[in-house]
Amino acid sequence: MDEKRLDEIISRYDYPSGRILGILRDIQVSEGYIEKDLLRLLAEKIEVPVSRLYGLVTFYSFFSLQPVGRHIITLCMGTPCHVKGARTILATLEDLLGIKGEEESGKYFATTADNQFTVVIARCFGACSMSPVIQIDGNLYGYVTPEKIPEILAGYGWHP
Amino acid sequence: MDTTGHTVTITINKNQYQAVEGEILLEVARREKIDIPHLCYESSLSPYGACRLCMVEVVTCGKTEMTTACTVRVHRGLEILTDTPDVIRHRKILLELYLAEAPHSDVIKAMAIRYGVTKTRFLKKIVTGDPLLGRCVLCGLCVRVCNEIMGAGAIGFVNRGPYTIVSTPFLEENPACMGCGTCAAVCPTHAIGIEDTGEKRIMRSWSGTPVEMIRCAGCGGYIGPKPVMEYARSRIDPVMAEELQELCPACRRKQVTR
Repeated sequence: MDEKRLDEIISRYDYPSGRILGILRDIQVSEGYIEKDLLRLLAEKIEVPVSRLYGLVTFYSFFSLQPVGRHIITLCMGTPCHVKGARTILATLEDLLGIKGEEESGKYFATTADNQFTVVIARCFGACSMSPVIQIDGNLYGYVTPEKIPEILAGYGWHP
Repeated sequence: MDTTGHTVTITINKNQYQAVEGEILLEVARREKIDIPHLCYESSLSPYGACRLCMVEVVTCGKTEMTTACTVRVHRGLEILTDTPDVIRHRKILLELYLAEAPHSDVIKAMAIRYGVTKTRFLKKIVTGDPLLGRCVLCGLCVRVCNEIMGAGAIGFVNRGPYTIVSTPFLEENPACMGCGTCAAVCPTHAIGIEDTGEKRIMRSWSGTPVEMIRCAGCGGYIGPKPVMEYARSRIDPVMAEELQELCPACRRKQVTR
């Protein structure tokens, strides 16, 4: 994202307080992630310490500091999904896509080498009746089993 | 203390004390040597109530209500109990939680022992390589003084829930840090490490941020961080800024008495 585009996003919010999350959201939506230097530039422009912006970005799971792949797979790890085998689903996804994510900071994040898929974890979609659930680019898949995953992924251009 | 307010009488543990209306209850208790344990209270900042240790009971019409002493303002007829079984039970649980959160803090350990708490039922935080030495209780005092008093905003909370830490953005050296050390001065558990190596001050807890030091114009000894000096100069009257000399206290004394 260039400076002009950033200025345009900032100009959407004229109210000085309470605009930070709006601006960060717009950057996240348009870029898929928030680049380090962009965050520093934004801090300078809106005169907010970088530490504050970094705190917000690491607090909300909605924001990502790393580039994301073409398709985003969000795996629900809420209690019902967990009980219904979300861990196995995650292991299957990691296996099929050849990735290994880290959950050190409380956020799971992994992108495939070819930049096609990013796997992230959410806490609850509110679709517990269909657990375990995954979401790919906004499409929800319920009652997922490890056997169903290759077929679902194939719909997004994945092949073994 | 606001001396313009009215003097009122309040009751703490059935004893009567004089206090100024609007004063913070914890301040009154400290003055009167009534022991209320606390970690996050700092008189130069606005009341916050983060650590929850200063919990007391407020009596109104015979009913009691628990609240933090650092957020209660004194008014006429205020009645407080500081050592009821409920309050003590509350503090014991909190101290157990703090033992798990900051397992290496001697301040917490000493506080806990006074309440007979020597062990914790909770999972202790794993603290290998923690820049805050396993002593941080996340009270946020350092973050607040850095923001509100120094205006630097060099540090902040990172991540959330059990993964929350206090650090610099991207966990990298932060040029916004002036090396003033206010954070370390207010830290109730002495978690913040600062190392003076001569020409540099290294903020060990803040991702090893190096800060340049200035020398005394008289004796040549290192007297303080350069950014703090520059900040001070920018904030005072330009005439005074010109007169401001970079001298250590000993050399300044010599110069004044000459």
